[in-house]
Amino acid sequence: MGTILVSIGTVTIIFLISHILNPDPARLWAGPRARPSTILAVAARYHLNEPLYTQYYYFMRDLFTGNFGIDPLTGQSILSEIRFYLPNTLELVFFSFVILVIVGVALGYFAGMHFSTLGDSIARVTYLSSWATPMYLAAIVAILVFANYIPIFPSGGMYSLSITPPQSTTGFFLIDALIQLNIPAFLSGLQHLILPGLALAFVNFGLISRAVRSSILNVRWSTYVKTARAKGLNEAEVRQRHILRNALIDATSISAVIFGWVLTSTLVVEELFAWPGLGQFAYQAIFSNDYPVLIPVVVVFTLGVIAANFVADVAYSLLDPRIALGGHNGAVT
Amino acid sequence: MIEFRSHRSAIGKIQAVLIIVVLLIAVGGAIYFYSMTQAPKETRLLVEEESQPDSLDPAVSYTTPGWEIVEQVYQGLLAPNGASYTTYIGVLAQNWTISSDGMTYTFNLRPDVTFSNGDPFNAYVMWFSIYRTLVMNQAPAWILGQNLAATNGAGFNITDSILNSINYTNPSQKDLSYMTYENQSVQVVSPSQLVLHLGYGYNGNAPYSAFLATLITPMAMAVDPNVVEGNGGVAAGQPNNYMETHALGTSFYELQSWVQGQSITLIKNQDYWGAKVLPADSNYAIQPAMLDTVSFYYKAASAMIADLESNTAQMIIAPSTQYNVLKQATGVTSTILPIVFGSSESIVFVYMDPYAFPPFQDIRVREAVSYVIDYKSIIHSVLNDLGTQWIGPVPPGFPYYNESTTGLQPYQYDPNMAASLLAQAGYRSTLPNGTTLNPAGKAFPSVNFLYDADNAPQSQAAQIISSELQVIGITITLSPLTFKQYANVIYSSGTVNSTSYPFGISYYSEDYTASIDYVTAITTTGQVGFSGFSNQTVMGWTTSAATAIDEGTVISNLQQITRAMYHDYTDIWLYVPYFMAANRSNVVGMIPNPAGSGMGYFMFYNTIHYSS
Repeated sequence: MGTILVSIGTVTIIFLISHILNPDPARLWAGPRARPSTILAVAARYHLNEPLYTQYYYFMRDLFTGNFGIDPLTGQSILSEIRFYLPNTLELVFFSFVILVIVGVALGYFAGMHFSTLGDSIARVTYLSSWATPMYLAAIVAILVFANYIPIFPSGGMYSLSITPPQSTTGFFLIDALIQLNIPAFLSGLQHLILPGLALAFVNFGLISRAVRSSILNVRWSTYVKTARAKGLNEAEVRQRHILRNALIDATSISAVIFGWVLTSTLVVEELFAWPGLGQFAYQAIFSNDYPVLIPVVVVFTLGVIAANFVADVAYSLLDPRIALGGHNGAVT
Repeated sequence: MIEFRSHRSAIGKIQAVLIIVVLLIAVGGAIYFYSMTQAPKETRLLVEEESQPDSLDPAVSYTTPGWEIVEQVYQGLLAPNGASYTTYIGVLAQNWTISSDGMTYTFNLRPDVTFSNGDPFNAYVMWFSIYRTLVMNQAPAWILGQNLAATNGAGFNITDSILNSINYTNPSQKDLSYMTYENQSVQVVSPSQLVLHLGYGYNGNAPYSAFLATLITPMAMAVDPNVVEGNGGVAAGQPNNYMETHALGTSFYELQSWVQGQSITLIKNQDYWGAKVLPADSNYAIQPAMLDTVSFYYKAASAMIADLESNTAQMIIAPSTQYNVLKQATGVTSTILPIVFGSSESIVFVYMDPYAFPPFQDIRVREAVSYVIDYKSIIHSVLNDLGTQWIGPVPPGFPYYNESTTGLQPYQYDPNMAASLLAQAGYRSTLPNGTTLNPAGKAFPSVNFLYDADNAPQSQAAQIISSELQVIGITITLSPLTFKQYANVIYSSGTVNSTSYPFGISYYSEDYTASIDYVTAITTTGQVGFSGFSNQTVMGWTTSAATAIDEGTVISNLQQITRAMYHDYTDIWLYVPYFMAANRSNVVGMIPNPAGSGMGYFMFYNTIHYSS
């Protein structure tokens, strides 16, 4: 229920903002030099001449019936366009998310365990710098450095045009390439994925590092850790089972937030890297005032963030047995 | 025991790290060696540009990137004659005649022309293709609609149902009765002869001097009726979803793939009819493609320049302001093309809408604005001198520009004169030395100044103009809008007297390569971006120039239009930037033509190849 209400609220806000920004998008969609008859036809098709509440009704009705309608700029079914772009974005997001979690946790753990040393300072400078770097700057610098000055990665795109792409089975390029044993496509896809993935990961791992470091500092001198050592557990077990595991609890909830940031950061990254994903699609829609596209895309992003939070809740309950998913917290026994 | 367990644990960790490192090296090595095998081959061309096609449907596409692709896959009756943009050669038409009154164009079609799927091309197909454009009536349809129409205004209407019902392979008597009827825009005389009758379109019953120029646009290209009918058919007033993303034509390339948001790949049409044409009957627009594959990548500007320098891409579209950067790059040829190419890309001017901002109704105010702008300074600092000042509405380099501007000097920079004129108009103004003129005069009201935020030269020019206006006492509020929003304003006519942006920088780029295209837009549409200009006398001259069939009449009308607008300070002609071609030095064969959408400056990719 909460998910539905959040989605409705988000859609409504986007709908209102779009209409305020450009109450008459018919000319925009028909083309700047379109004839009046063409513009009128577009306006009629999208009910643009009707009152705002009527337009809202049509939008919500179509949204709830899964009829996302036709993209006024491309003439394509919006649902089919989303189906095409979404797997590409998820591939990029999952790749960068895995990297940023691994790097973020490792760096935060290192910093926490080497508190107040030179290593800790270096780690803090690193993750704070990354956190402070704007997404577009990281992407452009990555292209300049690793595609121009030291050309080891391509500057954009999802795969080289010299390979035969795999048939779309799952919609995920790398998975489809592996399933079909299309190794050149797999390697090409991986090569193209690394730079945008790292750019996305670079600016987002800092918060996880910070959270893990703080948690480590809270946990490492706690009583139960001292007890564990006193019981004779070796240092590796103490660190893994008692310190790190408890530190990850906070990092898990932060990860859900970061997943949302990574998802929305794709608007910039995909545009700069010519990555054919939902972010680039949304970027183009924003500049074209293409809100029939923008609203369903925002719904997808919203659902993505909600799903991430749900996964975080599940992971949270797995990490901390005291927390029961969907129920009240159990007392410590 | 504890020490032993610690020792084992440490060894285990080291082994795990080693395995991970080896795996990373293996994967990285595989990627590296794989990338080394992807060096460009001599049969493949990769071109990069920023903007993606809007559609692959010839009846719908209305952007340069869209036309660029369409013109490699589809063909029309004619093409520009090499580098000429005033003479034409036959592509699907073998030859043609024009009646003495300029109202009837008779085309004899080439025999044995086929689509890439083997379907035949003939006059029935051309009849279908042209009416399809008119009936669908999408954004660019007006280009043909100026002279042709799906109705003759006397009860004969070609509708979507009729187009969908006809058998174009073996037409029945009823089908032929539609296609061969004389009093319509497009008439089939025989399977190999087609007649176009002007007079049914917006221009009314009159010839059109640039009609052939409209026939080289995608709207007049041949589309396979079998493909359309098998994928949704024709629907009046609506695009066809299938045709938006699929392309099948008669030309030397076929569409292999379109990864939306990333790339388009064209491959050589292996069954191309043009390969069988005898050399004596062939021409550059018909000859088969020399490269097997042409791929188009759509990327950000920073990535494109890097790719060109590293030979990842062999051609890019880059602004002429990058000329000095690309000149230094090894293996790259960057060429500043003649001004006609810049004109076809964009002519830039300052507009002043007098309907929405009454001070602009005073000619002295408009004249003052013309004197306050330092044109040379803008061209120098904004365009690195890669631009030229001009006098409109005929763009520089286009036919009759020199004739129409004979005896006129471009607007001059004279801030003293500007301040003086402003004072004469009743406003308080200041000279550059600080002296106030007409201190009792009213303050010039502040006004919004519109420009395209996505266009760097416009953004910079707006800043300069703002400071120059400020010097004489005109305060403007800079009002940038993103391109689509900006275009929405400057091309609107309904709100010409109530627009929030009565002042700003406007531009125009060609729809087809003809002076009259620009003149008609600027003098007859009454749009905000053309200062809402609406003068019956000038419109009359425009109509005369458009419908004249002798050059002398065209020139004299254009001269009158130019002078009328010049002395009225309707629009302040600002600059035309030069256009730059940027490619690897071993890529040759481009035939520059301002009508072309290929990299913005040539028609076809079939002649492009690598030099030995």
